[in-house]
Amino acid sequence: MFHVTKSYPGDPPVLSDVNLTVEKGEFVFLTGPSGAGKTTLLRLVFCDEKPTRGQILVGGRNVARIRDASVPYLRRNIGVVFQDFKLLPHRSVLDNVAFTLDVLGTPRAESRERVLRMLKLVGLQHKAESLPLKLSGGEQQRVVIARALVNDPTILLADEPTGNLDPGLTLEILDLLCEVNVRGTTVVVATHDATLLERYQKRVIRLERGRVVADTAQVQAARRTG
Amino acid sequence: MGAVAKAEVFWRAALQGIRHQPFPHAVAVLTLAIALFALGLGRAGSDAIDHLLASLGSDVQVTVWLRPEAPVAEVDALMASLRERGFGVQLVTPRAALERLGRELGAAADALRGLGSDPLPPSLELGVPPAWRDPVSLRRLSLELQKSAEVTQVDWGEAAVERLGALARALRWGGLFAFAILLCATVVVVSATLQLAIYARRGEVEIQKLVGATDRFVRAPFLIEGLLQGLAGAALALLGLAVVLHWVSPQLETLFAFLQVPRASGTLWGLRRTLELLGVGAGLGLMGSFLAVSRALRA
Repeated sequence: MFHVTKSYPGDPPVLSDVNLTVEKGEFVFLTGPSGAGKTTLLRLVFCDEKPTRGQILVGGRNVARIRDASVPYLRRNIGVVFQDFKLLPHRSVLDNVAFTLDVLGTPRAESRERVLRMLKLVGLQHKAESLPLKLSGGEQQRVVIARALVNDPTILLADEPTGNLDPGLTLEILDLLCEVNVRGTTVVVATHDATLLERYQKRVIRLERGRVVADTAQVQAARRTG
Repeated sequence: MGAVAKAEVFWRAALQGIRHQPFPHAVAVLTLAIALFALGLGRAGSDAIDHLLASLGSDVQVTVWLRPEAPVAEVDALMASLRERGFGVQLVTPRAALERLGRELGAAADALRGLGSDPLPPSLELGVPPAWRDPVSLRRLSLELQKSAEVTQVDWGEAAVERLGALARALRWGGLFAFAILLCATVVVVSATLQLAIYARRGEVEIQKLVGATDRFVRAPFLIEGLLQGLAGAALALLGLAVVLHWVSPQLETLFAFLQVPRASGTLWGLRRTLELLGVGAGLGLMGSFLAVSRALRA
């Protein structure tokens, strides 16, 4: 991101002159108080919003200037996980996860095989035919992660993925995201849970009032050079 | 491979959509059915008016007045040429004309006794074939006949024929205008109704877009739903029309027998009209859902 600003008419900027780089395969925590701009930053990356100013390069492509018609193709490379799950209550777990593959036109048999493999990875293969509302919060979030990962995206964005979960389930989900990262996916997790940052010892970018106020990568780089 | 899988996904999503949201879909089908029923009735009514105008038009008669001293051979040749062109031709001799006038005058026929033997000129009365029953053709025929040396005058009820033609034109254009208004109103109502169904599934649309669905992908199941609704609405309308045309219209035909309108059930509704209504239904459903989903995607 280069000098990215996002503002809405009549309000102070949500993001102001944000500069940051996330390398391929990195695991990054994006943290800060409510209203710091974490969610907006993630939304800019998957083109749910466009920046007011600045450039955002995702996989070498400037998404700040992307045509509307190209947005769906970009999103097929980005998995997104939300705090409120966004699952379809009338469809089974299998159908919810298969939703991502349906969009790509994956044949039903192949789709089923891939979904079951992904459900096994998140430990829910035995719940494939259940409806989401029959699952616990942690299980629902794991379904969302499975949906986000089933088409092998290069980037996974998670916006407060553990916000609605108890501490035990929170660690379960974070362990799963770390496992996904180990497999090569770039993971960006927005959270305001300080205990997670301490426990996982990953790169932390701190936002306050729309500005990057701390980045552990820069601190480490400074230590290495100094 | 992708296209077949996508088609399967679209149909499955459309059927699931209908199953999970039966009420908005039922309202849309009923709206379409009512509009298509009205369109169908209008179409049958317009056909009935066409038939009525045609039957009134068949009464158009052309009278060709001949010179009293016209040679029989010339008159016969003229009659033969007219018959060849499809006209019904009847020669009315001066004597026959006088007898007819006497019959028409009834008790006052005594007044004719003082006249000479053949005071009325001979004439030809023409039955006009359908292709000639319009003012332009009849005027052309009249001018053509007047060029003949044996013809003194041609009467074809110019004013009446023109009035009939104007009436037919007004009815046709009026019908077309009403048809267009009804179509537009139906599209608006159906699209508003379908928007309810789309609103209820906004979560699904949001997730589809999040996982990389194009607008075309999001739109396709809704278009299928619109198509199915249109066809279901048309089927309901056809059912209603069948009831009206088979049971109600014979009663009306008896009441209006003096107009000599053909039996509506027999001649005014056939396979062509059925396919036409199904096509209009499918088109309306598609258009309504297209508008509704486009609006939802823009929102």
